Amino acid sequence: MREVWVVGAAMNRFGKMRESGREAITSVALAALGRAGLEPNSVQHTFLSNCFGVAERQAHLGPLLNTGLGIPEVPSCTIESACSSTSAALHEAFVHVAGGFADVALVAGVEKLSHLNTLAATSYFAMGADYPFETCHGATFPGLYATLANAHQAKFGTTAEELGSVAVKNHANAAMNPHAHFQKPITMEAYLGSPMIASPLRLYDCCPFSDGAAAVVVAAREVTPEPAAEPLVIKASVRSGSIADMHDRPTLTGLPATRFAAEKAFRQAKITPKDVSFLEVHDCFTIAELMALEDLGFTPPGTAGKMTSSGATAIDGHVPVNPSGGLKAKGHPVSATGAGQVVEIFEQFNHEAGGRQVPNVEYALAHNVGATGGSCSVHIFGHR
Amino acid sequence: MAGGAATLHSIEEYRRGYEDEHRLRGFRSACGFVSATWGLRCPRCGRSDFAETDLATTGRLAAFTVQTVPSDEFLNDAPYAYVLVDLDAGGRVAGWMPGIRTEAELAIGKPVHYVPGYKPGLQFGLTSDDTAKSERP
Ligand SMILES: CC(C)(COP(=O)(O)OP(=O)(O)OC[C@H]1O[C@@H](n2cnc3c(N)ncnc32)[C@H](O)[C@@H]1OP(=O)(O)O)[C@@H](O)C(=O)NCCC(=O)NCCS
Repeated sequence: MREVWVVGAAMNRFGKMRESGREAITSVALAALGRAGLEPNSVQHTFLSNCFGVAERQAHLGPLLNTGLGIPEVPSCTIESACSSTSAALHEAFVHVAGGFADVALVAGVEKLSHLNTLAATSYFAMGADYPFETCHGATFPGLYATLANAHQAKFGTTAEELGSVAVKNHANAAMNPHAHFQKPITMEAYLGSPMIASPLRLYDCCPFSDGAAAVVVAAREVTPEPAAEPLVIKASVRSGSIADMHDRPTLTGLPATRFAAEKAFRQAKITPKDVSFLEVHDCFTIAELMALEDLGFTPPGTAGKMTSSGATAIDGHVPVNPSGGLKAKGHPVSATGAGQVVEIFEQFNHEAGGRQVPNVEYALAHNVGATGGSCSVHIFGHR
Repeated sequence: MAGGAATLHSIEEYRRGYEDEHRLRGFRSACGFVSATWGLRCPRCGRSDFAETDLATTGRLAAFTVQTVPSDEFLNDAPYAYVLVDLDAGGRVAGWMPGIRTEAELAIGKPVHYVPGYKPGLQFGLTSDDTAKSERP
């Protein structure tokens, strides 16, 4: 297996895009290639994600992207794994480059949904769950995660303030991130006063509906020995799965897929959670960040709420979590989210994160979940 | 039924079961796992050694949420509860409960029962504790 590097990464500001998904991803892909000091013609394969392209009456976006980049002959394919789509695309790119099937691959994800109303967007998102056995009984995505939060609260006594501490922290981090959808801090009072969406989850427990585009360029170390920016070495690239319907799993207080992926990723990278300088985790809802910290092995089950309330996961804490602001506040344009996490890690490794810079970064972990955990990716990045 | 799964009900038959036939169809795997979710192999043990069974129509709340923002098919029903129910004699299913406005009205472990004939979705209602006790041996 060849050593694989992330040599470039870029995103636009998540939130509301005026341009189409196609225009946004083409500019962002060029920017990512620019960070790597590469021209589009060095790309040998494009892995694209655009789960809800149909909302723009568009499928098969890969050839449009490559055509727009002036590389129409380059093969492309669409990788869909719900909210973990671009981390799945990154894994495919990793496999291609590590295995010698491509030297340079482009990973690109984009979503544009802001022209839909709340009801329509909610219906699109629900398509990631099991229609006849979950969502046809009225579940929305906030509702599915709320059910997990309800079980977590009942088992461990997790409080509203503990959930709120995730939201307050991530909004504070996003306030220092020019790419973030929300750039204003929130207070615990505002959190507690925000309307219930699906009990116990309030408005400020939820990620927003965001548009956005993000792209990552991966290359074999041997073909880019001197990239334009500090590269990320992919120390582990792991995908996992678990029983799709959460009510058929043995537990409702964590995501088995996260546990499976984490165990394998730490083995692959030959490190332990103690070695990780910071994490970008899948906090589509505040409860998801708490479960992620527990399932990834950073704190025992039921204790992530206390850990977060103590400040241990703030940027100046013991192990910063979601310095970007996370899905909660940076935003969650489904197919751009996984690549967006890598953009944060790339900027951190290149000391470009401004007020949210984590000092002394050695290893960073990215965790990205598909729907309620039917699929999951864990990537671990280190220095060359 | 060792080895054979040919007679398992379809997804459509599951839906027709609770919508029209007042029954909850499911399967019981040789490993002990009971579920309503369609598949050709048991998701827990991977084997096809399972038998068709009717699940109990009574059970207890395993987890729930009260949704104020509805899904499109439940537009006129909000707020309502989305519930996971541990059925008596095994199996956990998802369903919903109309008319629930706040989470204080429900609690994990509360007895519920299937309410036939209401569309869409698998509907449950609260069973008063007295009724639940008298139905139990
Ligand atoms: C929570 C949710 C229903 C709110 O959506 P909405 O009702 O359409 O919200 P609106 O667009 O009407 O926004 C109302 C206000 O709240 C703000 N807002 C919306 N969503 C927000 C969020 N998640 N967090 C913080 N603020 C939010 C808006 O900016 C707006 O503020 P303003 O009045 O100052 O402009 C929606 O964001 C949601 O469902 N999120 C989850 C998305 C999801 O399931 N993703 C997949 C996860 S795996």
